Amino acid sequence: MKISSKLIAGLACALAVALFPAHAQETVKIGVITDKVGPAKPYAEPITQGIEVGAAEINAKGGVLGRKIELMIEDDQGKPDVSATMARKLVDSGAVFILSVSLTPATQQAQTVSLATKTPQMTPSNSGDTLTTQIDNPYFWQTGPLGSIQIATLLSYAGTKNYKRAALVSDNSDLGQLLARFFRSGLEKADIQVVSEELISRGATSAEPQMQKVRAANPDVLVSAGVLTAENVLMLKAYRQLGLKMPLLASYNFSVPVYMSVAKGLLDGVTFVDAYDPAKPEVKAFEATYKRVTGKDPFNLHGYGYDGMRLVADAIQRAGAVDKEKIKAAIQATDFAGVMGAKGMKYRFPAGKRTGFDPNGMVVRVYEGDRQGRVVHVGQGKPQ
Amino acid sequence: MRDFLELSVSAAASGCVYGLVALAYLLMIRPTGIVNFAVGELAMLAAFGGYVTHSLMQLSYPAGLAAVLLVMLGVGWLTERIAVRPLLERGAPILAPILALLGMLVIFRESISLTFSPDPYPVPYAFGFGRLELGPLSGSYQSFFIIATTLAVFAGAWFFFERTVAGKCFEAVALNRRAAALMGINLARVTTLAFAAGAGAAGLAGILVGANISAHYLMGVPLAIQGFTALVIGGVGRVEGALLGGLLLAFAEQLTVRYAPIAAGYAQAVPFLFLMIFLLVRPTGLLQAKRVA
Amino acid sequence: MKLLGRGLAAALLLSGFAFLLSAYYNDVYRKLLLWATLALSYNFLFGVCGQVAFSHFTFYGIGAYAVVILLVQLGLPLPLAIAGGVALCALVALVVAIPSTRLEGFYLGLATLALAQLFIVILNEGGALTGGTGGLANYRLPKVFGVEVTGPRYTVVIVLLLLGTFAILWRLDRSWFGRACRAVRDNPETAAAMGVDVVRIKVIVFTLTSALAGIAGMVYAFVDNTVNPPIFGLDNAFLLLFMVIVGGAGRHAGAILGAVLLYLLPFMLSPVIGHHHALVFGILVLGAILLQPRGLIGIYDALRRRFA
Repeated sequence: MKISSKLIAGLACALAVALFPAHAQETVKIGVITDKVGPAKPYAEPITQGIEVGAAEINAKGGVLGRKIELMIEDDQGKPDVSATMARKLVDSGAVFILSVSLTPATQQAQTVSLATKTPQMTPSNSGDTLTTQIDNPYFWQTGPLGSIQIATLLSYAGTKNYKRAALVSDNSDLGQLLARFFRSGLEKADIQVVSEELISRGATSAEPQMQKVRAANPDVLVSAGVLTAENVLMLKAYRQLGLKMPLLASYNFSVPVYMSVAKGLLDGVTFVDAYDPAKPEVKAFEATYKRVTGKDPFNLHGYGYDGMRLVADAIQRAGAVDKEKIKAAIQATDFAGVMGAKGMKYRFPAGKRTGFDPNGMVVRVYEGDRQGRVVHVGQGKPQ
Repeated sequence: MRDFLELSVSAAASGCVYGLVALAYLLMIRPTGIVNFAVGELAMLAAFGGYVTHSLMQLSYPAGLAAVLLVMLGVGWLTERIAVRPLLERGAPILAPILALLGMLVIFRESISLTFSPDPYPVPYAFGFGRLELGPLSGSYQSFFIIATTLAVFAGAWFFFERTVAGKCFEAVALNRRAAALMGINLARVTTLAFAAGAGAAGLAGILVGANISAHYLMGVPLAIQGFTALVIGGVGRVEGALLGGLLLAFAEQLTVRYAPIAAGYAQAVPFLFLMIFLLVRPTGLLQAKRVA
Repeated sequence: MKLLGRGLAAALLLSGFAFLLSAYYNDVYRKLLLWATLALSYNFLFGVCGQVAFSHFTFYGIGAYAVVILLVQLGLPLPLAIAGGVALCALVALVVAIPSTRLEGFYLGLATLALAQLFIVILNEGGALTGGTGGLANYRLPKVFGVEVTGPRYTVVIVLLLLGTFAILWRLDRSWFGRACRAVRDNPETAAAMGVDVVRIKVIVFTLTSALAGIAGMVYAFVDNTVNPPIFGLDNAFLLLFMVIVGGAGRHAGAILGAVLLYLLPFMLSPVIGHHHALVFGILVLGAILLQPRGLIGIYDALRRRFA
C-alpha cells in the first residue's frame, strides 16, 4: 500500500499541533479595575494609561515567561459594589492578578473577592492606610504612597521650622477623610497641636468660612489633606483672598499637573509631597518611552500605573509559573526599583506587611511661580 | 465683627448663585409644572463655555459672557424642543418630561466629560482675582460682581412679571394652563421662552460661580440640589422667593461653618437639618404667591 | 392555591438558575434581584401612591448598617439583629412620615433629599460605630442551623426576599388599600371626600415601603460582606427613580423591567462601547421615554394589544 507523502505530512502536522500547542495563543491575563465615568476618573484614567504602556513595553520585549500579557480592563463606575462584581468577572475570565486603580472604597470592596478566590490583587495608587488593615487579606498589596508616609515626609521637611500649631483642612471624600485622620495623628505624634480642623464639602461654592476659622485659630502652618482638586483650588483661592500668610503644606494631590492651569497665579510657595522626582534617570527613561508609544507626554499619575504593571510582571517572572500561590509568594519578596519614589527607592514588602512604598521614598517639592519646582527634601531623614 | 461682615459678602455671593439656579427652576416649573433637575448641568455647560471663550478663543470677558449666555438660551430652546414639547403635545404624564430631562442631564454631563478631560478647568474672573473693600465690607471682586449681576437679573425678572403684559401672560399660564390657552395665550411660545430663560439663568449662575469652583463634569448635581433647596425655602410663587431662599441657605451654611462650636464634620449636617425643620414648619415656603382676590 | 403554586414555581426557577451560574454572573444576578426588589417597593411608593421620595436608599442603608452593627458590634444573635433592624427602619420611617404627610409634591421630595444627605453625613461621622467613610467590613453571616449560607445558597435568600416583597405589594395593590393609594395619587381632595384617610394611607405606605427597603438592605449587607456610604447615596436614589419611570411607574412588571434593563445596561454597553457607555445610556433613556412616555411597560402593552 502506497502511503501518500502528503498524507504523512498532514499527519505529522496534526501530531505536531496536538503535542505542541501554539504558545502565542496563551497569554498571561491581568485584570484592571478602573473608573471610566465616576469620581475617580481624573486619576484612574492616566494610571490605566500608564498600565497599558507598561504592558505594551513588556510585550514588545517578549512578554512574561514567554507569554504576552493580556490586559482585561473593567469599569467599576466608581461604585464599590460594582467593583466587587468586576473582580468576580475578572477571576472567572482567568485573571491571575487584579490591579485596582479606582476609588479607595471600591478597592476595599473588591478585596472580598480576592480573599475568597485567593487571587492576588494590588493597588499601585490608592493611599488609604486602612486598605491593608481593615480586613486581613493576605492576597492584597498596596504600593501607593500612604497618607501616613505623606505627612511624615512633610513634617520631616518642616522639622527645622519648629511649628507648634497647625490647622488641618480636608474634604468630605472618603480618601480625604482618611488622609485627614492620618495627617492628624502624624501631626500629634510630632508634638504639633492641631488648633483647627476644617472640612470643605464636595460642591461647596466658597471656602471663605473655613479659611476665616483657620485665620482666627492663628496656626503656624496650614496642612491640606484634601484630594478633590476643585475643592482644593477653592481652598487655595480663599487662602489667598484672605491674605493668609502661614505656609501651606499639601498632600500628594497637589502634585497633579492640572493645578498649574486651574490655579494659575496662586501656587507660588505651596509645598507638597510627591512620589515623582523629574530628575531621576528612571523617570526620564519612562517619559521617553511613554512619548514614543503614545505620542503624548506623561505626568506622575501615569508613573503609578507603569510601575504597578512592571512590578506585577516582575513578580510573575520570579514566580516562574502562572500560578496564583507562587505569584503571591513572589510579590511578597519584591525588591523592585521603579519610576516613582525618590532616587534609589525600591518597592519592598517588609515581613508580614503588604504596603510596599518605602516610608523614605517620597519627596517634597515647592511650586516656584506656577511651575512645579525642584525637589527640596527627600524621605524622612534630616532636612537639608 | 470684621469676620462677620466679610463672611456676609461671601455668603451673599453664594446665595445669589443659589438664587439664580432657583430662578432657573422657577421659570421652568411655573408654566409647565416640570422640575428640570438638569439645571445644574446647564450651569456646568456655561462654566465650560466660559473656559472655552476665555482660554481657547481669547475673547474679552464681556464678549465671552454674552456669547455663552446666547448659547445657553439656544440650549434651553433645544432642550424644550427635544425633551419637553413632543411629550407635552402627546399629553404624556408629567413624569415623562421630568425623566426625559434627567436623560438630558446624563447626556450633557457625559458629553462634557468625554470632550474635555475629567480634570477641572479654569473659568475667567470678571475683574480678576483682587479684593475690594467697600466700607466695612470686604470681599473678592467676583463676589461683588455676582451680587450686582444677580440683583440686576432679579430686578429685571420682577419688572417683567409685575409690570409687563408678557409677564402677566406667563403668570396666567402658571396659574391655569387651560384657561390661559382659552384666553388666547400661545402656550408653546411661553413654554419655549420659559426654558430658554431658565437655561440662561442657570448658565449665568454657572459662569459666575465657575470662576471659583472651576468647571468640571461633576459640578452640576450639587448645584442642582442647592438650587432646589433654595427654591423650596423661598417658595415657588414669587420670583423674589428664589433669591431669598438662596440667601438664607447660603448664610445658614456659611455662618454655621464659621461660628458653630461643633466639629467640622457635623457642621455639614446643619443645612439639611435646617431644611427639614423648615419644611415641617413652613412647607409652602416663605413668600406666598400673590392672591388674585 | 394557584397563586401559591405559581409562587413556588417562580421561587424554584429563580433559585435554580442561581446554581447554574458562575460566580460573576451569580453576583450580577444577586445584585440585580436586590435592585428589582427595591424597584418594586419604590414603585409602590412613587408610582402607585404618588409620593415623590429620595429616601429609599437611606432606608436600604439603615437596614444594612443596623443589622451589621447589631450583629457584629453589639453581638446580638442573628434573629434579634434582624428584628432590631426592621424595628429601627419602621421607627425612622414613622418619624419621617408623620410630619411629612403635610408636605405636597416636591416638598416631600426635598425633605427626603435632605434626609438622604443627612444620613450620609451621619455615616461618615459615625466613627467606630459606622466605620466612618470606609464603612464596615470583615464580618460574616453566622451559620444558620449549622449551614453556611453563601454563594448560590445566599442567592436563594434574595429570591425569597424578592418574591416576598412582590407578594406583599401585589396583594395590597389588589385590595381596597391599593385603590385608596391610587386615589391619593390622582386626586387627594376627591379621595378625602370619598372617605379615604389620606394622611393615614400616606404614613402607612411610606413606613411599609421603607421597611421593605430596610429588609432588602439587611440582605444586601451579606452579599459582599461590606457596607460603605457610597452605595446608599443620592446617585443610586436617582437611578432607582429612573428605573421606575423608564419601566413604567405604577406597574409592578414595569418596575422589574426598568430595574433589569437599567442595571444590566452599563454591563452590556461597557465592553462594546468603552468609556462612552454612560452617554449612550443617557441617550437610550431619553429615546425610550420619547418613544413611549408610559415607560417600557407601555411598549409591552402596545405589543400585546397588537398581537391579541
